[in-house]
This record gives sequence, C-alpha cells and structure tokens, in this order.
Amino acid sequence: MFRSTSARFATLYTAAFAFSVLLLGAITLWTTHNALAHQFDRRVRAESQALVQEYRTEGIEDVLQAVRERERTKGALFYGLDGPRGSLAGRLSGLGAASGWSTIRMKEADGDVERVRVLATPLPTGYRLIVGDAVKRNEAIEATVLEGFCWAFIGVVVLGIFGGYRFSRDVHRRFANMTAAADAIIQGDFNRRIPVLGSGDDLDRLAGVFNRTLDRISSLMDSLRQVSNDIAHDLRTPLTRLRQRLEATRNMGTPAEQEAAIEGALRDVDAILDTFSALLRIAQVESGARRAAFRTVDLAALSRTVVDAFAPSAEDAGQALRFEGDDAVAITGDRELLTQMLVNLVENALRHAGPRARVVVQASRTGDDAAVSVTDDGPGVPEAERTRIFDRFYRLERSRSTPGDGLGLALVGAIARLHGATIELTDAQPGLRVALRFPNVTDGSTPAKSV
Amino acid sequence: MKLLIVEDDADGAAYLAKALCAAGHTVDHAPAGREGLMLAAGEAYDVIVLDRMLPQLDGLAILRTIRASGVKTPVLLLTALGGIDDRVEGLEAGGDDYLVKPFAMAELLARVNALARRPPPQEQATLLEIADLRLDRLARSVTRGGARIDLQPREFQLLEFLMRHAGRVVTRTMLLENIWDFHFDPKTNIVETHMSRLRAKVDRGHVQELIHTVRGAGYCLRGPD
Repeated sequence: MFRSTSARFATLYTAAFAFSVLLLGAITLWTTHNALAHQFDRRVRAESQALVQEYRTEGIEDVLQAVRERERTKGALFYGLDGPRGSLAGRLSGLGAASGWSTIRMKEADGDVERVRVLATPLPTGYRLIVGDAVKRNEAIEATVLEGFCWAFIGVVVLGIFGGYRFSRDVHRRFANMTAAADAIIQGDFNRRIPVLGSGDDLDRLAGVFNRTLDRISSLMDSLRQVSNDIAHDLRTPLTRLRQRLEATRNMGTPAEQEAAIEGALRDVDAILDTFSALLRIAQVESGARRAAFRTVDLAALSRTVVDAFAPSAEDAGQALRFEGDDAVAITGDRELLTQMLVNLVENALRHAGPRARVVVQASRTGDDAAVSVTDDGPGVPEAERTRIFDRFYRLERSRSTPGDGLGLALVGAIARLHGATIELTDAQPGLRVALRFPNVTDGSTPAKSV
Repeated sequence: MKLLIVEDDADGAAYLAKALCAAGHTVDHAPAGREGLMLAAGEAYDVIVLDRMLPQLDGLAILRTIRASGVKTPVLLLTALGGIDDRVEGLEAGGDDYLVKPFAMAELLARVNALARRPPPQEQATLLEIADLRLDRLARSVTRGGARIDLQPREFQLLEFLMRHAGRVVTRTMLLENIWDFHFDPKTNIVETHMSRLRAKVDRGHVQELIHTVRGAGYCLRGPD
C-alpha cells in the first residue's frame, strides 16, 4: 500500500503542510518579536520624556518624588535617578547604566538576577534618569506564541499521517477492487463490472466509463458471435444445395445439361457470397468504425435518387413509387450507407406490398430532427412481429416464398443505430410505415451522438 | 494491350492471366510488392491490376509510390470482400477503379477495357457521335438520324456513359456505380429497366441496333462494323 500513488500523495501533502506551519510560525514569531520590542522601546522612551519634561518644569525634587511614587505602582516600569554624588532613588539607580539604550543586570529582592533593558538620559547639572523594563515579559509572550505553533505543528503532522493513511487506504482499496475486476475480466469473466459506489466522484466516473467500454466490447463480441452463428446456420443450407447440384453435374450426360447445372451452381455461389457480404457489412456497420467518415448528407436528395432509380421498375410491375417532402434535409452521416438503407427500405416495400402497391418516400425536417420514411399500402406487419423484422434472417411467415435473404432490414437497423436514429414502425392503414428519426441535426455539421 | 498483374495468390494470378491472355492481352505477373513496383515503374503498361493485400509491401503503398514517381498508368484495385472503406482509401491513394473479390471474369475484362486509354477516350469532346446517333453534352440534346430523342436526365447520363465507352463492354455494376453512385448490388433489376427504356427510345424503329446486350457481362454501344 505504501507504494501506491495515494500514499505518496498523502505523504507529500503532509510534508508540505508541516513545512507551511513551520514557515508560518517563524514569520509570526519574528513579527511578534519585532512588534513587542518596538512597543517596549516606545513605552520606555515616552516615560523618560515625561520625567525629563517634569524636571524642566518642576525641578529635580519633583522628579525624585515621581520616581518613588511610580516604583510603588504594581506592574510599573523600573526607574532610577543618579545624582552627581551617587544614587538618589529607584531600583535602577547606582547600577552604572551608560547613556542611551543598554541591557543591565538587576538584583531582585529574592536574590534572582533580572535582565533589564534600560534607557539612561543625562539631565543637566550632573543628574541621570534611567527607565527600563524586564526583558522576560516580552520573552514570556514570545514563548507562548512559540508553544502554540509547536502544538499546531504536531497537530498537522498527526492529522496528516492519520488522514493520509485513511485516504490512501480508501483509495487503495478502490483501486484494488478495480484491478481485481479487471483481472477477472482478463481471465474471461466478461459479465464482471467494476464496482461503482454512487458517490459520483472522479473514480466513480472512471469506473463508469470503464463499464460502458466493457458493455460496448461485450455487445461487439455478442454481435461477432451472432455473425458466426448466422454464418454457420444460414449458409449451411445454400452450401448443401450447391454441393448437391455439383454432385449431380458429374452424372449428367449432355453438355447442355451440364452447362445449365453450372449456371445454377454459379447463381448459388453468388447468392451465398451476397449473404456473406451482407453479414460482413452489418458487422462492420455495427462496429461503428464508419462514424469517423461522417459527412453532411442531404437525405432528400438521396431519397430522390433512390426513387428515381426504382420508379421505372416499380411502374413495370404495376406499382407506384414517389417522393414527397422538403427540398433539402441535411444530416451528418455516411452517404453510401444511408443510400443502401433507403434502397433496402424501398426494395422491401416494393417486394412485400403486392402488385398494385403505392409506395411513398418522405424526407422532412421538424425542428432539430430530420426524418425519412417509407410508407406502403400493402398488407403491413402484425404488431407483435414489428420489432423482430430487424433481426438477422427474420422473415414473416407469409414472405417465406418471396425472394430475399432476411438481411436487408437487419442492415437498415444497423445503419440507423450507427447514425443514432430511431426507427418507428406504424400501421399505415393499410400498410406499413417505416420512419427513421435522426435527432439533433441542428446545422448538419455536428457529428451524430455516439450510440 | 499490355497488362501488369500484381497478385500474391499464384492460382488466382494464373487464372487471371489466362483469361486476360485469352481476351487478347499481353500479361506480366508480379507475385509480390517489390517486383510489382519495379515492373510498374520500368515498363509501359496500359493497365495495372493491383491486389490491395500483398505480403511485404501493401498494395496501397505501391500505388502511392508509383503515383509519386509520376507513373500515370491506370490502376484497377482488387479489394477483399466486405472492406467497405477500401474503395475510398484506394481511390484517394491514386487508384482509378476498384473491384471487390470475388468477381466475375467478365466484370474484370470490362473494367480493364474501360480503364485503358487506348484508343483515346472521347472524354473531353462536347459532341459524341456513334453511327447516326449524336449526343451534345453542352446542349444536353440527343438526335438519331437527325430526329430529336427526348431523354430523362438519368437516361441522358446512361447514354452518355455508354457512348463514352463505345465499342467496349459496360457492366451492370459499372452503371450502378457511375450513374447512381450505388456501391452495392440492389436486388431489383433497376439497370435492366432503365436500359430497356433507353433502348426503346434510341433503337426502336431503326434497322441498325446500337445498344447491345452482352450475355453474362453487360451492355455495349457500338455502330455497324
């Protein structure tokens, strides 16, 4: 655990905080010391000046009186008055203080020696006035400040170590859980997810992102598995038929018969290749790799091209196909895939809606959404089966006899999902209406939201 | 025509070479990228058929190199089934056409012929003329034997494409790609329907048919020999 990033961070932060407290203490102590010394000097100087003033106005007798009185006041400064022939009054007299500021030693009544900082002012006519105070008063205040900071320092270090331990233990535990989950996934447990506490913090968000990544990967794997199953299951039938046809060719007599059989076999192979290519295409679309190549595409223009391509064939079959809608409906997407999507929808409608069907392709813009729809007036799709028609190889019971590989609409579904579009199947009374809604296409240049 | 096939699959290459020789072409074969690059840069070919997936040197890398060295020979790229991004990449790298494997031999022959610049194509001409059929690309008008033919815009595009490739086979997929920009095969016979309408307008009432169906391959517009 102590090798973990969180422990290193905690240690680093504790050290940084402890250093800050030390620095703060040093600065405070220094400032306090200066302020106290300054104040001390000012007080002593003011007292000296007051007494000197008294001497000038009242004379030496009054000063002597004042010194004696002030000495008796509790908590007062120390005083001294030396005359030309020795000490006159005050505890500081007769200690030989030089003129100006100095620190002298004063004997207390109990025998202790006190250090006193004094200001000695010479008065005319040989007198000398001394005012001072004990140094230890300032030292006591400074000691208190220092002590306070010592406790603060100890507090910061203890809290830092304790809090850091708790913090790094929690973080370490969460990382360990994530690592364990990731290891389990590596070992093959693809349903395992990284635990999310629900606190919404950055680790939770990270876990959420990981889990969504895993969801995406497992859906891709499912799709891959699905494709393999589909190939195994649905290509076996046509391959078996092809094999039988080729086997039969061996025993055929005339070259004409053989040629016909080979033509048939080629058609079978082409059909198998078509199915294979459609499956691969669906898988590629589902992988989402095409999203990188999205450009602005005009859905209305695409619809018109598709209608224009299919209208003659529809007419020949007695059906009608037309386009309705806006002039231009710009969305961001893959032009080739969207074309194929429209072609598949139109072919599907024409194929299943019956001989006299009328099919309408519409493209329009409503607010921020673009929509394209294909509506037919054929027999429609029962409600229960509507979602299933987008599954691979799914075919309605009554459509089994019409040609088709059951992959056209599966590809439509995949392309719609790639573009973040929703598919709505509604009863056109009669018939089926397939509508695709592309959300938030505000200016046609913003990339489609990821699915 | 003189063709170069760059293809690593020996059986496939031999089959291709045989079919192309049978169609009257001279064929060189390079089994790997390096030989292909050397031959493509050194010899004068009419068309290069280049497989996208090659050992050693990737097909697209070869294509970029020969284009960078100033070789303008048309290149037909062969791409693997299902690679839906391959076409754009291939064309951006300097390819002129692409074909998805597996393909019908008739398709390959038609595309090789369409790519070859010999005889010079009438691509820049504003007036295309085959026999008594005239197409004016600027006026967007078509006449046959002096009589005006009214065509829908798509039909005009179709006829223009056929006339630009006059005398050569044009396949269904070539038409789907060039006229409708459909790079997949619809299940419906839309090409046949459009062609039969065009044919009705161009050939009906004339003794000499200009639009011919080439069985198993596609269509060909040609005048009397």
